[in-house]
Amino acid sequence: MDTVSFENMKRYVSPINPAVFPHLATVLLTIGTFFTAWFFIFVVSRKTTKEKTLIKELLISLCASIFLGFGIVFLLLTVGIYV
Amino acid sequence: MFKILYIYFLILQCFLCASKTNAEIINTNVERLLDLSSQLVKTTIKITAEETTGKPITEYVFLVADPNLAFISLKDDTEKNILLRKNKEDLNGDQTFTFTFKKASPTQTFVIETVSSKNIRPHPVEIEQNDKQLVKYNGSLYFYSKYKTRTQKTNVKLSSSNILFHTQQKPFSVGANRIILGPYEDIEALSQQELVVHYENQTPFLTVNTLERTIELSHWGNIAVKEEIQLTHAGAKLKGSFSRYDFQKEGRSDHSAVKSYKTYLPASASGVYYRDTNGNISTSNMNLVRDFIELELRPRFPLFGGWKTKYTLGYNVPSYEYMYNDGNKYQLKMHLIDHIYDNMVIDEAVIKIILPEGSTQIKFSTPYQISRRPNELVHTYLDTIGRPVVTFSKSNLVESHIADFTLNYSFEKVSLLQEPLLVSAFIYVIFLFTIVFLRLDFSITSHSHKE
Repeated sequence: MDTVSFENMKRYVSPINPAVFPHLATVLLTIGTFFTAWFFIFVVSRKTTKEKTLIKELLISLCASIFLGFGIVFLLLTVGIYV
Repeated sequence: MFKILYIYFLILQCFLCASKTNAEIINTNVERLLDLSSQLVKTTIKITAEETTGKPITEYVFLVADPNLAFISLKDDTEKNILLRKNKEDLNGDQTFTFTFKKASPTQTFVIETVSSKNIRPHPVEIEQNDKQLVKYNGSLYFYSKYKTRTQKTNVKLSSSNILFHTQQKPFSVGANRIILGPYEDIEALSQQELVVHYENQTPFLTVNTLERTIELSHWGNIAVKEEIQLTHAGAKLKGSFSRYDFQKEGRSDHSAVKSYKTYLPASASGVYYRDTNGNISTSNMNLVRDFIELELRPRFPLFGGWKTKYTLGYNVPSYEYMYNDGNKYQLKMHLIDHIYDNMVIDEAVIKIILPEGSTQIKFSTPYQISRRPNELVHTYLDTIGRPVVTFSKSNLVESHIADFTLNYSFEKVSLLQEPLLVSAFIYVIFLFTIVFLRLDFSITSHSHKE
């Protein structure tokens, strides 16, 4: 069938070396947890509900969720759930 | 005088014409090797065919009367194995295979190899625990051919020298574990005579009833292979009860009961598991041999005739061993089925290939005919629309069917980010919920002291 194109093909390797999955998971989850902690501390230590802190809250939680999201995926890959 | 010569000439021409229309292929010499030493019937037939008038032979039709034929291949002087495809129409209920020679010549020499299963049957059908397993083979004494055969000889290889009976068609000779039948001269086309061999065969008669092989691709660099196997000991059934004491006392290794068997896995396999519905089966050994992994599997109980076992075997292999890519075009080249045990027989195999979510333009090719089933969708971790599954099945497989399939598909690299972003979005929704929740006032009294 596609024998011609097959000759041009290279062996497929993962975009990220599977050997660094556990380290990546640890680092990303640590950073994610840090942002989460910051978010909750920030939210509960607010003096009043009238303060205009919405933008800051949204940005901190966005950072936290991105780091946690990638961290969880790499954690799954580390433990052998190849998503 | 002149008239007589003319008549002579006419008669001669008539003869020539007649012989031209009768021009036919005959097998001048046929040597068959019947290997009956395992549960399979492996036949190697060396055929020398000739055209009686010296015209070049371009096509040869090979007949197989055996309905259990699993595999057939042709080897010509280029020493290359050519898989033969079955012709659409059968001849009097026989399967026919037509092949065309690359070089047309009046004499052709080639080798045909066939493997068939289920032609060696236990006889008696039931034996006791310590009895020897005796089997009976029913086959054809003569080479079954569409053409006339001048001389032929059959060499039968058996698993032991204990031969109870075999067809006594002279000339024949019996060696240690060999029977040489023939040479038989001038056998007409399509002639059939039964060959019966009744002998001792203690090799494992294991049959895989169902094999479900699942190959799951992950673009994070892994291919997960899972095989669900149901095995039956298809030899002589066990009569009476099973005595563990007798079984342990009898240290014979050539017993027809199967204690353990070996499976070969690719050398790069990791994270191997062997389990059944109860959980892990701990009686297995894994050895890394030079270029493959040898896995010795010992079922929870020895398998006697008629006994069954069902288990799951799985492992991971890195993607660079079997996957290739060029831009967003990907190709997977992998074994359709893999080795389960030596001289294996698989009744029915179902192979599923789970592709990553978002794969399109799936093209699939196999070295032999399979029955393709409609594509499915499967939902596993972090899936939205589901992963496409290529499914196909094939029945009556033997070891010779271990060959690579090729699967081409397209996949956008950006789709790889879908899974982490999905998790991120989910977490962000929780955060947003928290933000909104904290801004709501659920108190039933007004807090005047706050401000």
